[in-house]
Amino acid sequence: MAHALATTPVRSRKDRRNDALFQYLLAGAAILVLIALTGAALSMLWGGREALLSQGWTFFFSTEWNPVENRYGALVPIYGTLVTALLALLLAVPVSFGIAFFLTEVAPVWLRGPIGTAVELLAGIPSIIYGMWGLFVLVPMMTEYVTPWLNDTLGSLPVIGVMFQGPPLGIGYLTAGFVLAIMVIPFICSIMREVFLTVPNRLKESAYALGCTRWEVVKDIVLPYTRTAVVGGIFLGLGRALGETMAVAFVIGNTVRFSPSLLEPGTTIAALIANDFAEATDTYRSALLLLGFVLFIVTFFVLAIARLMLSRIARKEGN
Amino acid sequence: MAVSGSARPQRQAATTQFAERLYRRRRLSNAIALTLSCAAAAFGLIFLFWILWTTVSKGIGGISWALFTQPTPPPMAEGGGLGNAFFGSMVMCVLAIVIGTPLGIAAGTWLSEYAGARKLGTVVRFVNDILLSAPSIVLGLFVYTLVVAQMGGSFSALAGALALAFIVLPVVVRTTDEMLRLVPTQMREAALSLGVPQWKVITQVLYRGASAGIVTGVLLALARISGETAPLLFTAFGNQYWSTDLMRPMASVPVVMYQYAGSPYESWQLLAWSGALVLTTFVLLISLAARALLLRNRVPND
Amino acid sequence: MIDTAPKPAQANASTPAAALKMAARGLDFHYGDIQALRGVDLDVAERQVTALIGPSGCGKSTLLRVFNRIYAIYPGQVASGQVLLDGENILDPGYSLNRLRSKVGMVFQKPVPFPMSIYENVAYAIRHYERLSRVDMDDRVEQALRQGALWDEVKDKLKRSALGLSGGQQQRLCIARAVALNPEVILLDEPTSALDPIATGRIEQLIAELKEHFTIVIVTHNMQQAARCSDHTAFMYLGELVEFGATTQIFTNPARKQTEDYITGRFG
Repeated sequence: MAHALATTPVRSRKDRRNDALFQYLLAGAAILVLIALTGAALSMLWGGREALLSQGWTFFFSTEWNPVENRYGALVPIYGTLVTALLALLLAVPVSFGIAFFLTEVAPVWLRGPIGTAVELLAGIPSIIYGMWGLFVLVPMMTEYVTPWLNDTLGSLPVIGVMFQGPPLGIGYLTAGFVLAIMVIPFICSIMREVFLTVPNRLKESAYALGCTRWEVVKDIVLPYTRTAVVGGIFLGLGRALGETMAVAFVIGNTVRFSPSLLEPGTTIAALIANDFAEATDTYRSALLLLGFVLFIVTFFVLAIARLMLSRIARKEGN
Repeated sequence: MAVSGSARPQRQAATTQFAERLYRRRRLSNAIALTLSCAAAAFGLIFLFWILWTTVSKGIGGISWALFTQPTPPPMAEGGGLGNAFFGSMVMCVLAIVIGTPLGIAAGTWLSEYAGARKLGTVVRFVNDILLSAPSIVLGLFVYTLVVAQMGGSFSALAGALALAFIVLPVVVRTTDEMLRLVPTQMREAALSLGVPQWKVITQVLYRGASAGIVTGVLLALARISGETAPLLFTAFGNQYWSTDLMRPMASVPVVMYQYAGSPYESWQLLAWSGALVLTTFVLLISLAARALLLRNRVPND
Repeated sequence: MIDTAPKPAQANASTPAAALKMAARGLDFHYGDIQALRGVDLDVAERQVTALIGPSGCGKSTLLRVFNRIYAIYPGQVASGQVLLDGENILDPGYSLNRLRSKVGMVFQKPVPFPMSIYENVAYAIRHYERLSRVDMDDRVEQALRQGALWDEVKDKLKRSALGLSGGQQQRLCIARAVALNPEVILLDEPTSALDPIATGRIEQLIAELKEHFTIVIVTHNMQQAARCSDHTAFMYLGELVEFGATTQIFTNPARKQTEDYITGRFG
């Protein structure tokens, strides 16, 4: 028969060798993904070793950041990173939830597709655009209206008043938090929407059949069903907000000085690195790399939690 | 059974009254929730469109032929464009795609076709997901220590492209993995049962079935890296002049935008906003194309 | 075809008179911890149709998948015992998969045309075994498509994507693709379960034609189909071969109670 020649053992052995070679090649690429992540972590730790050795634990607890005297305490940028990210979530989570609720239960069906697509597209807009908008549009508004108003109202309250007193500069933690919020809203919202859509229709229908209102369906059926994934989505947004550079760098003020007021300029880890790294010299550069390592570790844990929670709903969906 | 005959209608009335009140309260809380959700939607969308509108209104004035042909101007000088920055962005993005895509496809293929239930597969998938949303500035620092610091601290376009490639990699890994897993198992079996070796089954049959999805992933990655600023700051750095040398610093649109938007010169700010408008339009078009491609190809594969 | 391989001495009471092409001897199969086949002995006669029937999960598809070792792509699936093709044990690790799969073709439940043109679907398979000139390849493709009873319907659109064909046409294309390699045995795994009655009728007619040249083993959940188009029928239950014999005998006068219950619809 014609194919007898082609099926000789030689051909088969060659195939087997090629198959193995191909598999090793692919596995090598997969290992590269692992190397990329661990390499990123280790390279920053290695680059930051000088700062870590010279500063010791004070690096994490001191607020003094003085490149001239080579003293580096990272508490201010760490504080700034956490505060801006938390402010952002405080605003973004309820709004994103509202939009996701709107898009899955409230809006007329013909509107859901276009708005949903628009939100997803906006999630892809480069963050630098958000930062520029903050600088050119939001900062003047903060200076003119919001800061004086806050000084007069919340600023006069006891205890929390300190947080809302400050000069009308327009830049600072609050502005940065707000820009971050606007930036992560489409991001968190599209995850929530996606997650809400995994709720089986029969579940929702049977609740509606009992006479539940839309809000009750979301509160009692959709949210409990998707709880872990919703939290996962929020953590993913948190990871984004913590590591964001460009949306913050324009409006944070880039001042390494501790201040309890949200209206004062400050800095975040990412903004500080972006601003100073290119011009920094030896020890300073090392301190910035160490800061980068800290940022990496924090975001790693936040993202890991997020992924674990999101993967749980994927498993539920698979059943 | 101590209930007297006259008490029963009373109790019934009380029950209906209670139900009535409860119903009203439920309706009220529903109305409040719906209003809040509409308000949230309006709030979010207003801000997002406000940002788009700002970009268009501030940037449209600077759109001209010179924007794409002239190099970036020195401070205070009139005219100039972003020609060298567009060129640099294009070179680095293309290079990043060229480096990141084959590696990403290979790793994604391994995950989908060979990893199976292996522990290493789970770990790689997890790590890839983390890498997917890791702060891009961290990847910039990584490439700085890996490449720039090793080359005596000289910034280069190649380092910039490498930093961007690390962003492309996880996106392509993920889409390749997902798209290959959508190809029916029977397709693999049918090809293997013809005696075709596995590597040919993958490269000649499965890739064709998954090609639309993989291209979508590459497009999404391109949309993402074209606006990335942070990782380029200390890898490609920036360059005020035309440069085609991969081993030297090179300008890119986002980095120039970062420098010019924060400057006090109005002509620079205009250039920054024009760059922002072009960039946003490009990113939106690419994402739309990616969606269209995915939607068009979803139907016949089933 | 010259077939001088020694035939196993072991013979079943219902061994058909035709020459023995394939045989399972004491075949066990495990998916991880689950045993799917228990000591199966089966004879497949040359150029005849052997049908495997039984309730779902009885192991009939598993048995079919052992015959060309397609299961080998999944880790954790192990076959032990013997499967003889012309007297050689194909489960022997030394038996080349390449050689096996060129001799034993397979068609699956759902039609799976490759994402290529109709012509390429057939030519793609051939190219892995033979280097043919353009003209010869055209001939082979035509011949295969004719054997798959598809030629008249597609001869004017060979360059179009195979994904545009109807389900029944796609399945016949898959059969043509398997036939194009000139295999000796063709395995059909519920080939009509995804098709409408008319397309099913065409495939059954095609099976009758293919029997002239090929040995066919078909898994089906449709007993009428087994009765219509097979010469021998094996009834399987819980991973064991319960009864095997001439189709007419199995359907009119089954020897075992279980077989009778199944074909009269009392379980399954």
